[in-house]
Amino acid sequence: MNRVVVTGLGPVSGIGIGVDEFTAGLRSGRSAAAPIRSFDATGFPHRYAGEVPAFRPEAVLRRLRIADWGRSALFAAAAARLAVTDAGLPLPAADPGRTGAVIGTTSGESTVVEQLVAELVDGGYPAMSAEALRQAPAERLAYAVSAELGLAGESVTLATACSASNYAIGYAYDLLCSGEADVMVAGGADSVCRWAHAGFFRLGALTERQCRPFDRDRSGILTGEGGAALVLETLDHARARGARIYAEVLGYGVNCDAHHMVAPNEDSVAACMRLAQENAGVKPADVDYISTHGTGTPANDLCEARAIRAVFGDHVPPVSSIKSMLGHTMGAASGFGAIATTLAIRHGFLPPTINWANPDPELSWIDPVPNTARPATVRVAQNNGFAFGGNNAITIFGAIR
Amino acid sequence: MTGVVTGCGVLSAAGDSVTDLLAAVRAGSLVGTDVRGRFEEPLPAAEAPAIADFDVRRLLGRKGTSFLDRATALAMVACGRALADGELTVDDDNRRRVGVVLGTTTGSLKSTMDFSRDTLVQEKPYLVNPVLFPNTVMNCASGQAAIRYGLRGVNATLAGGPLGFLYALRYALNAIRRGYADALLVGGVEEYTPNTAWAADLTGDGPAGEAAAVYLLRRPDAAAAGTPRAEVLAVATGFHPDDPAEGLAGCARRALATAHVRAGDVWAVAGGDPDPDTLRGVVPAAVERLPVRPALGDCQAATGALALGALLGRYAEDPAPHGRPALITGRSRDGGVAVAVVRGWRRAGDHHG
Repeated sequence: MNRVVVTGLGPVSGIGIGVDEFTAGLRSGRSAAAPIRSFDATGFPHRYAGEVPAFRPEAVLRRLRIADWGRSALFAAAAARLAVTDAGLPLPAADPGRTGAVIGTTSGESTVVEQLVAELVDGGYPAMSAEALRQAPAERLAYAVSAELGLAGESVTLATACSASNYAIGYAYDLLCSGEADVMVAGGADSVCRWAHAGFFRLGALTERQCRPFDRDRSGILTGEGGAALVLETLDHARARGARIYAEVLGYGVNCDAHHMVAPNEDSVAACMRLAQENAGVKPADVDYISTHGTGTPANDLCEARAIRAVFGDHVPPVSSIKSMLGHTMGAASGFGAIATTLAIRHGFLPPTINWANPDPELSWIDPVPNTARPATVRVAQNNGFAFGGNNAITIFGAIR
Repeated sequence: MTGVVTGCGVLSAAGDSVTDLLAAVRAGSLVGTDVRGRFEEPLPAAEAPAIADFDVRRLLGRKGTSFLDRATALAMVACGRALADGELTVDDDNRRRVGVVLGTTTGSLKSTMDFSRDTLVQEKPYLVNPVLFPNTVMNCASGQAAIRYGLRGVNATLAGGPLGFLYALRYALNAIRRGYADALLVGGVEEYTPNTAWAADLTGDGPAGEAAAVYLLRRPDAAAAGTPRAEVLAVATGFHPDDPAEGLAGCARRALATAHVRAGDVWAVAGGDPDPDTLRGVVPAAVERLPVRPALGDCQAATGALALGALLGRYAEDPAPHGRPALITGRSRDGGVAVAVVRGWRRAGDHHG
């Protein structure tokens, strides 16, 4: 079995594009929350989201013809391009068939689908444009990465909603472990859209302006967007090319609640943590930091905190939710969590949970690293991701030994 | 390690058995179901290769089914049939080791577009029905199937369009090899709706089809309880936008090498593609070809699953290919390619039907 390491990071987010800006954003507790620009939010009671208004795909991409791809594919491809540049990965690869892409998503090309909806509202189904229809399939998120980087290996999009990036990282880790690939670009992408904004509002899960995970008065998520990509490679491959190594992927776990499509399940989340830790060969006491799913809804944060206590007992490590800064970037969320976790290990700091004002007496065992980043030695870190459909996925990263 | 297919659940325009499926594929002419009156919206044609007479309440009961979209309901029924056919009883001892892995294109495009349309046409943009919100996520079918059958193991959805099933099969095989699961329901599902019908028509991919085909894939050592129908030896994938034919050939060679199968032993090639030159030069010229698209239309992520069904039908009816390897191939417009190597057996009792 090969060991697997992280050698490149590519965040395209509302708190920074590229690893330097993103790291500075995490350290300073920057917020992406702002009035929505992606669509006309007139008529919505809540009109804030975590968008990436600074995203200029043409400034990052070298090969893709931008008009051929939807916004989520462009997020994925741009994140991947930034990640391979950060990794110093020589392209084209010596053996392109052994380098691939796995990308997670919740809503795929949601802005393309919404364009089709606008066309059919105006002119009926026959008015839908063929070009938009060709751009709509979600498989094109991974294909955009492969096309941008000239990769000929596995190119797969995992549509397991809001834990999809962790699924992608886990699957890429397996392909590297088992020797089926040398290098994999893994992560996720999603775009802010009307239907998700409306859906979360009607579920009562959407906050007005600020996402405040683990705060007593937390009131829900902010919808967000972006692309997150990590370059993963076998330790041997990384060492042979003299790559800088951020951290090691120690393992992961996935399971399913089989309980409710929307409500999280404490026992199942705890079981997923145990699966991931067992797969990674670590014990709860080894974990120095948890990047939580931490959506900021009353239900998620309570469920997640209880599951953490069930697994960690009296030794709960500091936890934080970067969704307080980014909003809920859906299929990219656990990819950003993985990047933040990797940076925490590499640079020795814990990203904060911003907008935090009041402790929740029901979560007394939670230290959410309130508002200010904290210096810390992080040897092992856990990155939680949960989703509609009960699709839990957790990745675990460690300092390179 | 391979995966063993011990059960199947098929719903197709041609019928609900692999025998029906094979007969339609072999006949090669489009199966037509009268779809007039099925929707309020106009359709591009009066007939389509859609599943006839699917009654979700009759098949799944009234409880919890009224808000299911058609793709999800089809997947749930197919999953239930595959479990029953594979004689796997799910209980508290094994449910954490049993899961669902499905291929899709965009989930239920109709559910998503209807939901999104409400943000434009309702009096207020937020006046959507929250009960329908979960139907907009692409993992809705796998999540609902897990709930219905109590499956807490590996649960995943792969968006692969025409390669959706083959990606799911490869993902599932990996999960079994890595020891994450003992049994997985692996399949592809696509619904026929005005959205898919017009999408296929307008992009020239038509006619849109409809199918759900799910297989119970088990660890070989755990399969003793069920009589195996087939074995999945290997799945290889790649991305070759500049030369998809050569990319597919390379994929086939890799899959065959992984499976330790000689190309000269391959007796059949199944898939969506009716091109008689697919993999010419890799497999023997006399290979039997089973393309599902001429009979069943564009079934997107279910295409590969239907191809496996047609192969199972052939293994069941004829002793000649017993134990011999066949390929399932897939190709996407953007350059994705995938090949699976399988082999099947004629089981005692198969000749009865």
